[in-house]
Amino acid sequence: MLKNITLGQFFPGNSVLHRLDPRSKLIITLAYIVALFLCVNFYGYALIAACAAACLIAGRLKPRLIFNGLKPLVFVIAITAFLNLFYAQSGTVLFHWWKLTITDTGIYNALTMLTRIILLICGTMLMTYTTSPLSLTDALEALLKPLNRIRFPVHELAMMMSIALRFIPTLIEETDKIMTAQKARGADFETGSIFKRAKALLPLLVPLFVSAFRRADELAIAMDARCYNGGTGRTRMKQLRYTTLDAKAFALSAALFAVVVVLRFI
Amino acid sequence: MTIETNNLKYSYDTGDDALKGVTLGFEPGSFIAVLGHNGSGKSTFAKLLNALLEPGGGTVYVDGMTTSDPNSILPIRQRVGMVFQNPDNQLVASIVEDDVAFGPENLGVPPLEIRKRVEEALANVRMTAYAEHAPHLLSGGQKQRVAIAGILACLPKCVILDEPTAMLDPKGRDEVLTTIHEMNRKFGITVILITHHMREAVDSDRVIVFSDGLVVADGTPREIFSTKLEVLQKAGIDPPETVKLLQSLRAKGLHVTADALTVDECASAIAILAIANNSYQISNIRDGGLDGGAVRDFGEPVLSCKKLRYTYSVGTPFEFEALAGVDFELPKGIFAGIIGQTGSGKSTFIQHLNGLLKPNAGTILLNGEDLHRDKVSSLAAKYKVGLVFQYPEYQLFEETVYKDIAFGPKNMNLSAEEIDIRVREAASFAGLTDDLLDKSPFALSGGQKRRVAIAGVIAMRPEVLILDEPSAGLDPIGRRDLLSNLREYHKSTGSTVLLVSHSMDEIAETAERIYVFNEGKIEISGSPSEVFANAERLRAIGLDIPEVTQIALKLRSLGLSVPANIYTIDDAVREILRLC
Repeated sequence: MLKNITLGQFFPGNSVLHRLDPRSKLIITLAYIVALFLCVNFYGYALIAACAAACLIAGRLKPRLIFNGLKPLVFVIAITAFLNLFYAQSGTVLFHWWKLTITDTGIYNALTMLTRIILLICGTMLMTYTTSPLSLTDALEALLKPLNRIRFPVHELAMMMSIALRFIPTLIEETDKIMTAQKARGADFETGSIFKRAKALLPLLVPLFVSAFRRADELAIAMDARCYNGGTGRTRMKQLRYTTLDAKAFALSAALFAVVVVLRFI
Repeated sequence: MTIETNNLKYSYDTGDDALKGVTLGFEPGSFIAVLGHNGSGKSTFAKLLNALLEPGGGTVYVDGMTTSDPNSILPIRQRVGMVFQNPDNQLVASIVEDDVAFGPENLGVPPLEIRKRVEEALANVRMTAYAEHAPHLLSGGQKQRVAIAGILACLPKCVILDEPTAMLDPKGRDEVLTTIHEMNRKFGITVILITHHMREAVDSDRVIVFSDGLVVADGTPREIFSTKLEVLQKAGIDPPETVKLLQSLRAKGLHVTADALTVDECASAIAILAIANNSYQISNIRDGGLDGGAVRDFGEPVLSCKKLRYTYSVGTPFEFEALAGVDFELPKGIFAGIIGQTGSGKSTFIQHLNGLLKPNAGTILLNGEDLHRDKVSSLAAKYKVGLVFQYPEYQLFEETVYKDIAFGPKNMNLSAEEIDIRVREAASFAGLTDDLLDKSPFALSGGQKRRVAIAGVIAMRPEVLILDEPSAGLDPIGRRDLLSNLREYHKSTGSTVLLVSHSMDEIAETAERIYVFNEGKIEISGSPSEVFANAERLRAIGLDIPEVTQIALKLRSLGLSVPANIYTIDDAVREILRLC
């Protein structure tokens, strides 16, 4: 049954990483990404890779998960690295054919890009594997709150995200139902040319959109009935709270960040 | 706390007058049932009470505030909560407790206090164990109870429920009704329950009947169902079966009271009459009971299954055996019924009958030939066995009703003339008039949309027509008309019809043969009188038995000699007349 799919990439658990406040995780992930782009040499990347590996262990995640996460992106990563091979114009020419030149700088650039992308994906995966989409939304809302002052609709955005999360499984189930029903009327979603198949999706998409709008309409009324009145004056049952664990994580991250900056100058 | 309305009016943008002047007051702490056909204005009235709509004329007073005053809107909505029909479309959060917290959060209640209210509210609807579950994995009844908890957490003084059980199975309906009654008794919360189910209305303090935007009857259930029967009929409302039975007995000249509402009261009234007539025969209770009457002779089975098994999500933690060896034979030309609880496997089963699902084990024969013999035969099965799913109106997609009905025949590659003939024929079987064919299906009423969807399947001229809960969510008139259309279709085409339903009354009314599903198997099958002879077994697997049968059973337990398997009012009247 379609409704049993896991949403997002969250793996529930109770490790140190799981217990960190989602805001801390967001901020530290950002710092991690900045640090990654500050690196210029082997030592920096080695340190960051070591950090990522340490987090993997701290989060009690299987290394296989990281490989699984990288798998769908292999093609993109490979293309990026491959193109980088030919971009560099300086350095010793190692290979030349027609308009394509590979220099040693080119190889170096390609390897750097490869490392960066892989570490970048690893870092963000570590966050999404240990943080539920819902608490990520809460963290975003809390962190972006200052933007309220310039009239940026932070609360509304967060509300939209959490409602979307709530309705994804419902709409998946609905898709399943409509597809079965149209198949019973002889609809064919699987064979034919691309054009024919795209056209065959109409009996699925039209009812799905109609139903999404109907649900949105009914939900809006239900929210009104439950005194929803926008973000002002609203409280939350689950308060985000920083603990000593977060303080430790921040201190450790700051120290490592400083080391990465220093390593730039070696 | 008081809610009063004074000459309340409302018109929609389309120009329809939904309410034409309603003046009502509600006694604090009472349980009020609101009845009325679709479009009678009862839902509009409900939305006006908690300021979801602004009156087009007249006033709504809640605790001295009026809903037309913008500053009063939030305090009014806090006092007057509302639960809606569709359980899916009123839950906001992905976690049950977060959803219950939604109302208090909106009201700016401090976090610790919200936590306390959420825990209490969940305990009161008996959903504490599910606090951290995702709503989409709950049953309909559980979702509705979460929705009720979400309202209770706002500490309302009145709760309006707009057909909260319309989309639920009997078990879910019982859960929700018990919760509503407890909320009324324990906390003195005023309950306004909008419903199409007479059983739900019978248990209330007061019944208000809406028709065409006006209140046409208002009183205790006893008054309404005994003295206002003509008004009810005009308003398109079916009285409870008990009342119908007593009315029929009175029409035959028996002096029986007219206002017995519950099964027990009704049975006592009949028993008293029997005693008065000296025909109380404790000693000779007949065992077998009513014979099935002349059973029609049926030919070869059009569909038959042997040892059908099906398991969902094999090899995952969600593995679930939906069918555990089903043996089934459907005689050609019969009008049959399938009944069973949610999760008993009946929906999975019917998807096997037209080849949408392929069994893990067992065979399905269509006209004696294996349905999955080759690709051609399984494709052909889809057209030979037409399947109408639950809430089929949500599958409509074409610009016009005509095109939507033509979708199936078109997929069969029929000629344009043939398609035209079939579309018109199917539309008329489904009770659609010709002028609707050029309209957009999205512009029709809910009941008409459903007819379009049913016509879309009939247009394929299936040998077997299977309908899953075709009358779910319709009002009594809509339901009655749809069932009579289906009977008419069955009679004039001679094709086989298989009706899947939660409602025993509906099955008892229509089916010549009944299959009872339980835990992935057919537990009982036979003619209605054969099946209803197993009343206790039916109850044990969580199914309702028809009210008339319940009365018969009660009469037997009182020592009267009536057959146990009576299921129609006519049979009951005949048997009781014999006694009295």
